[in-house]
Amino acid sequence: MKVSRRDLLLGTAGLTAGIFFTPVPWKLLDDVSIWTQNWPWIPQPPRGPVSTKLASCTLCASGCALRVRMAAGFPVGISGSASHPLTKGALCPLGFAAHQLNWHPVRLREVRHKGRSASWDEARAAFEKACSEGPVGIVDGRSGRAASAALRSFAANRNGTYEIALGAEERALAPLAQWSSLPIHSLGYDLENTRTIVSFGAPLLDGWGIPGRFTRLWSERAAGQSDPQLRIIQIEPALSRTGSGAWRWVPICQGTEALLAASLARILIEERLVSITAPLPPASVAEAAIQTGLTPTAIRELAHTIAERRPTLVLSSDENPAVAALNLLLGSVGAPGGIVKRADRRTVPDAAPAQPLRAVLLDSTVPWEYRPQGSMEVFRFAAWDGGGNSADWLLPAPGFLEEPTDLPTPPTSAVATYAIAPNILTAPFPVKTAAEFLLQIDSTLPTLDQTVHARCEEIFRMRRGTIHADKRTPVTSLASAGKLEESLRAGGVWLDEPASSHGLPCALKEWPAGDPRHRSGNWANTWAPPVMPPLAAKLYQESSLRETPQRSQS
Amino acid sequence: MSARYGMVIDLDRCTGCGACMVACAAENNVPALPARATDRTGLTPMLVHKVSNGVEGAGRREAFIPVACMHCANETPCVSVCPQQAVEVDKSTGIVMQIPQRCLGCRYCMTACPYHARYFNWWDPAWPPGMEKTLNPGVATRMRGVVEKCNLCHARLHSAMEKAAASGKKDIDMADYVPACVEACPTGAIQFGDLANPDDPASQAAHSPEAFRLLARLGTDPKTYYKSRQAWVRALAERSPAGHAAEAQNV
Repeated sequence: MKVSRRDLLLGTAGLTAGIFFTPVPWKLLDDVSIWTQNWPWIPQPPRGPVSTKLASCTLCASGCALRVRMAAGFPVGISGSASHPLTKGALCPLGFAAHQLNWHPVRLREVRHKGRSASWDEARAAFEKACSEGPVGIVDGRSGRAASAALRSFAANRNGTYEIALGAEERALAPLAQWSSLPIHSLGYDLENTRTIVSFGAPLLDGWGIPGRFTRLWSERAAGQSDPQLRIIQIEPALSRTGSGAWRWVPICQGTEALLAASLARILIEERLVSITAPLPPASVAEAAIQTGLTPTAIRELAHTIAERRPTLVLSSDENPAVAALNLLLGSVGAPGGIVKRADRRTVPDAAPAQPLRAVLLDSTVPWEYRPQGSMEVFRFAAWDGGGNSADWLLPAPGFLEEPTDLPTPPTSAVATYAIAPNILTAPFPVKTAAEFLLQIDSTLPTLDQTVHARCEEIFRMRRGTIHADKRTPVTSLASAGKLEESLRAGGVWLDEPASSHGLPCALKEWPAGDPRHRSGNWANTWAPPVMPPLAAKLYQESSLRETPQRSQS
Repeated sequence: MSARYGMVIDLDRCTGCGACMVACAAENNVPALPARATDRTGLTPMLVHKVSNGVEGAGRREAFIPVACMHCANETPCVSVCPQQAVEVDKSTGIVMQIPQRCLGCRYCMTACPYHARYFNWWDPAWPPGMEKTLNPGVATRMRGVVEKCNLCHARLHSAMEKAAASGKKDIDMADYVPACVEACPTGAIQFGDLANPDDPASQAAHSPEAFRLLARLGTDPKTYYKSRQAWVRALAERSPAGHAAEAQNV
């Protein structure tokens, strides 16, 4: 058959017209579109059975309860667990992306000695040699855990020292602990019953205390109200998130917090706004006005305001005795809505003997910025290498959700709590906790399970408090300590009954001097890992929401 | 009966913590971008803007405005300009859907969006080795060269629909469908619900006297409402929050 030019043109025209009436090109286009969205080098989510596990966050001392969504054995999503009595389902921004931390590029995967690769056996031999040559120091960043018992026992057995690296919220309570002769860990803030909070720079709405506890309280009782149930007065040089959400923001010159506190105390005493007697501070109102940048009238009005609606709680961003002393004057120590004593079995570490240490071992809970003073050999446990660390030995510790641990009462809580966090992941390379490391050297140390059993038995014997899980179970209704431990291991949280507010005698012989050092509250201060989850970049890099924190980024 | 899913955000309760942004990114497999990514080139389906009343000194006040796709119901600007039909409004939910397979990356929709709530994906999605195991299996990763935005956690809606279907129900239980940002907010500032249901708490909040919408004068009927008792915050409603944030930074 001969094909003419006319046939060719007709055929082409027919084919062109026909294309518009067939689904083939559109299907091809669709397939190409889908294909171009699924290049083989583009990471794909895991496939596998999906489940939800209960766990606890161990990245700071708050111990927020988590619901972890698992797929194919890996955590793929995190949300808060509303059954937790303190956090009530809230998490910090970093917590929502914490499940990605274990794959952070700077994850510490091997033992390193002065920057070079080493083995666990070498590290152990080096530490044992150091122990034989002189006293060693053990530094714990989160006391009261079962692991802490092992660390403390090791120091005691070897005539060494056991030190606790306190957080900012705990340091703020240090003066009151000193005046009342009570351990810091037995003091907490009764935020739920207070009516006025005077904050000297404490980042109340930006990571202070337990996530969810204060923010929920603020949301329900203060946010946006012109005459709120809970008055928050934020005193700080620059407007912060807390200042923006506060009832009043009082801008003062940097470093004058203690002077302002002293002048407020003077007014409270001289104008008989409080009934409690206390030593008269030496600072005059006129002098404070010059230094702080406020007018004398403004200082007087502030004094009247803080005494107007009590209980009034005075908080500091860090240790500042002059600010803490205002609580004594306002009758807020050992009273509802103030600073209260809670049942906490932690003991105060003995004063460190003044002796040169041969070596110091830092637990993975110790802040990365912590630098031991002296020229001893430093053994540092960490899950991530935050860089710039001068430790002689870097020892890989379990990462997020990789370590079974218990969770004692978080700082600032007014009531005692206890929880057990199971590990739901296993590190793909050899890791050890500091307690496990020491147990290999000294087998007489209490194991994690022994201490947890003992703690559960103690709670059971007290017959106090409630287990908070999907439902609430009073301890009195449990048949045995074993049942109590079982419910805690299943994700429950024990919440003690509120302790009696009375019984906190504090004596002030003279008005204390303040601490002029200014420590600005960083939003990630309580975050223990020296790195941030990569998705935190959304907050400080891909938006102008936050300042870049001084942490390593991926 | 069609639903009309939307949000009511109480700006007086927003502390600007950013939990909603991180939770959104984790839920939707949004990668952390290279260090050179900025607030203009980043991928933030939920973005919290910081604004101020412009006063210096003790009278200064700041607020935070979370902005995501408003899911405009009336003459949705992004839908009308898309040459690829890559943006569709789901009539049964009111959700404005972005379909990456159809998107050719012309960015007309970004220009048309009055809320700057759309983002161009400038980089291939990448995670450090091993971290891809933590991706949400309910959401596919997107290639570079497409526009991304909030889809009200559509994967969660699908899960809720599957659960309802499995139990023989036609309608979902709203307790099963909570977007990640709503779930993450530590102060409970974000309410989510069916705005077409007068009994829904979110619907009632949207009709409260304190509720307002951003750029309401444009008449696009956005389904995100805001609430604030502060007059200066309400006054910002007729201005672009992104533009105001830039002004605040310059100050």
